[in-house]
Amino acid sequence: MVEHFKIQNLSFAYPTANGKKALSDVSLSIRKGEYVVLCGRSGSGKTTLLRHLKPELTPHGKRSGKIYFDGILLETLSAHDQAAKIGYVLQDPDDQIVTDKVWHELAFGLESLGCAPQTMRARVAEMACYFGIQDWFHRNVTDLSGGQKQLLNLASIMAMQPEVLILDEPTGQLDPIAAADFLNTVRKINLELGTTVIISEHRLEDVFPYADRALVMDGGHVIADGSPRSVGKLLYEQNHPMRSAMPTPVRVFYGTCKTENTEGMNSTDNCPLTVREGRNWLSAAFPAPPTIRELPTVDTDEAPAQTALSLKEVWFRYEKNAPDVLRGVNALVPTGSLFAVVGGNGAGKSTALKAVCGICKPYRGKIKLFGKAISQYKSAELFHGCVAMLPQDPKSLFVKKTVAEELSEMTGDKELQAQIAALCRITELSDSHPYDLSGGEQQRVALAKVLLTEPRLLLLDEPTKGMDSSFKESFADILTQLKARGVTVVMVSHDVEFCALHADLVGMFFDGQILTVDTPKRFFGSNCFYTTAANRMSRHLFQNAVTTEDVIELYKLNEGVIR
Amino acid sequence: MRQDAFSNYHPAVNFLFFVGAIVSCVMIQHPAYLLAGVIASGIYYLLLNGRSGWKTIGALVPLFLFLTVINPLFNTSGVTVLFRVFGRPYTLEALLYGVCVASIFVVMMLWMGCYNKVLTGDKFTCLFGNLIPSVSLLLVMVFRMVPNLIRKTGQIGGARRAIGKGAGGASLKQKLTAGVTILGTLTAWTLEGSVMTGDSMRARGYGTAKRRSFTVYRMTAADWGMLTVLLGLLGTVVGFAIGGSMTATFVPQRSIAPVSGINLLGFAAYCIYLLIPTVLHIQEAIWWNISRYRI
Repeated sequence: MVEHFKIQNLSFAYPTANGKKALSDVSLSIRKGEYVVLCGRSGSGKTTLLRHLKPELTPHGKRSGKIYFDGILLETLSAHDQAAKIGYVLQDPDDQIVTDKVWHELAFGLESLGCAPQTMRARVAEMACYFGIQDWFHRNVTDLSGGQKQLLNLASIMAMQPEVLILDEPTGQLDPIAAADFLNTVRKINLELGTTVIISEHRLEDVFPYADRALVMDGGHVIADGSPRSVGKLLYEQNHPMRSAMPTPVRVFYGTCKTENTEGMNSTDNCPLTVREGRNWLSAAFPAPPTIRELPTVDTDEAPAQTALSLKEVWFRYEKNAPDVLRGVNALVPTGSLFAVVGGNGAGKSTALKAVCGICKPYRGKIKLFGKAISQYKSAELFHGCVAMLPQDPKSLFVKKTVAEELSEMTGDKELQAQIAALCRITELSDSHPYDLSGGEQQRVALAKVLLTEPRLLLLDEPTKGMDSSFKESFADILTQLKARGVTVVMVSHDVEFCALHADLVGMFFDGQILTVDTPKRFFGSNCFYTTAANRMSRHLFQNAVTTEDVIELYKLNEGVIR
Repeated sequence: MRQDAFSNYHPAVNFLFFVGAIVSCVMIQHPAYLLAGVIASGIYYLLLNGRSGWKTIGALVPLFLFLTVINPLFNTSGVTVLFRVFGRPYTLEALLYGVCVASIFVVMMLWMGCYNKVLTGDKFTCLFGNLIPSVSLLLVMVFRMVPNLIRKTGQIGGARRAIGKGAGGASLKQKLTAGVTILGTLTAWTLEGSVMTGDSMRARGYGTAKRRSFTVYRMTAADWGMLTVLLGLLGTVVGFAIGGSMTATFVPQRSIAPVSGINLLGFAAYCIYLLIPTVLHIQEAIWWNISRYRI
């Protein structure tokens, strides 16, 4: 028996969906020890499918078809076996944790299964060592970082020694470094213990190349199933929207293929998946150094725009005896630009935003908004038509029962409401409860609320967290439209790729200061580690090519020269 | 938290000590014993809290004086009249009794402060987890919830201020409305989170079998030894107390059992009992200092 899961003609509809199927006629089998990545846009049925593999979490609704686990019907599995053999990690690192101490959380599953104390002791010790938790074993879970929390959730499930590990967008709330760390651990579990892994992810860059198999879902159907390379090829042949979520090397490869004769398209065996493969593939394509190394920069040296925001030597700390979080921040943000601040976790990026909108009061330094010091503004003046901030978690803004009520809380102006709703593409959601929306939709409703104060300076705190690639594109569209209206946007983000594509200026936040502000091309072009995948795979041949489009264009230009 | 030798003993040992110390301080109203209690609890409190402990002690002094002075105003019995307040006698005996009651209060506060530092939430659940599994799990979840709620409240408040919906400088009515709004958001958000927590619990087999509590604490030989010592000392104290060597009455007439002769034995047992955590703490500090010099 090598099949771990066998799904036969599974269809499912939620009771409230008026017969619209969340899953339709899904049939697949997953072998033991396989590492399967499940991709698809938000709302394509990934979570619904994954939850069907864990009976305790299966949603209620109309369902047909059969699921076998290890050759027996999944429903007939005993409650104990279901809990112990199928591990399930959810998205939110915080809400999954039940107890207050790390050691207690590790033991939670074992306690529930009623293990003997000696067994518990041994298993907990083993897990703490394997996951490197020893150092924070006795801590309170409140003191952990998001990445540590999610690692703890994984360890707590692994302590029950499951045969299958199911992960539903486990890194959605983590920063890129913590996410890569977490995904490496998952891969290690798969390689070293042979545990079957089924994972759904937006951040394919770190998962896709290592998976044995990729599944793509769309509208409740599984539309592609095969090795990562063949799935990439299939998506490009079909021109499927999901291709924008593929890792950068794949996008560059197929982006350059289009102009070539189709035989290049057929040889998918050499499609690069990782940055390393991408580099080698580019090197092979250009045995001699390419003649055109850099795209012509369009120098729009207009008269420098007016300054919307200026920070001068801003110092701040939260408590008298606490260390300084902001240590002399200097920045100038021109009007109508998108200014992105990137940098590590807990560096103080969010604090800088709070200082700009007056929530944190610096003890030294000057902050000027549109040429006027922030202390000169009255509170009502400041937050109406001047500055507003979109918080990291959109849920902290929801106070009403429907989206329409949320919008009317901000202003009585119906015309403005309709206009902003159209801009944020939430017009058709106006009767829904905010909590029934998907993450990306919630983000846009929150943005609409913030925009109803008609800010000239919009502050965004990690706006792309947990968004899938198509949501990111429409979010970028909204930002572009706002900029066209003369709104200045300051954004702090971990999302290097997004900043490279859409920002006008990028600054690095480090050690309480904003360092090296430059255009994304020059900023990421001169970085070697902290840069986009496109830049990392092409920097030995091209200069300042930071986006996928840059690399593709340079490739084509040089090809033209050769011919 | 700073290292404390007594805290490293099994929770049962910690718990027994504090129950003994607090109950005895309330039951025995003998001045000598109370003085011992004040000194022992004060020193241990300072050892546990360091410099910040002085603040609490500083705050307890006026409270002590207040309780002392106020007692004779209500309790007018006693033979030695010092002076009269509004025609009512203010007696020496009642004043002394006030000292006694105030000391009991101070000692209790100090022991409670130490208890909080030594017996953390997880130690408590370790003690009572197997007796009442569901209640202890509930407690643990509450310990988890409270900091979460505080954090979320801050987040919501900050988010609303940043869109100009804060309550700063507004009237009381506006402040109340703002508070209610935050509470509403907090409730909805927390409920949504608890659905996830429920999923996570069921996913890890909650309710599939009889729960057994896991604990990181084990009773070692040293724990059993310390437990025996504590029980022995407590037994001695109780024995002497029944024998009447610790009785003290103040009103209407002072009659305090003398601390001399055989009674000294009971007093010594009581002092040793109360000073055990302090001695362990200091002993450990000295031991580390010596071993540091050896290196």
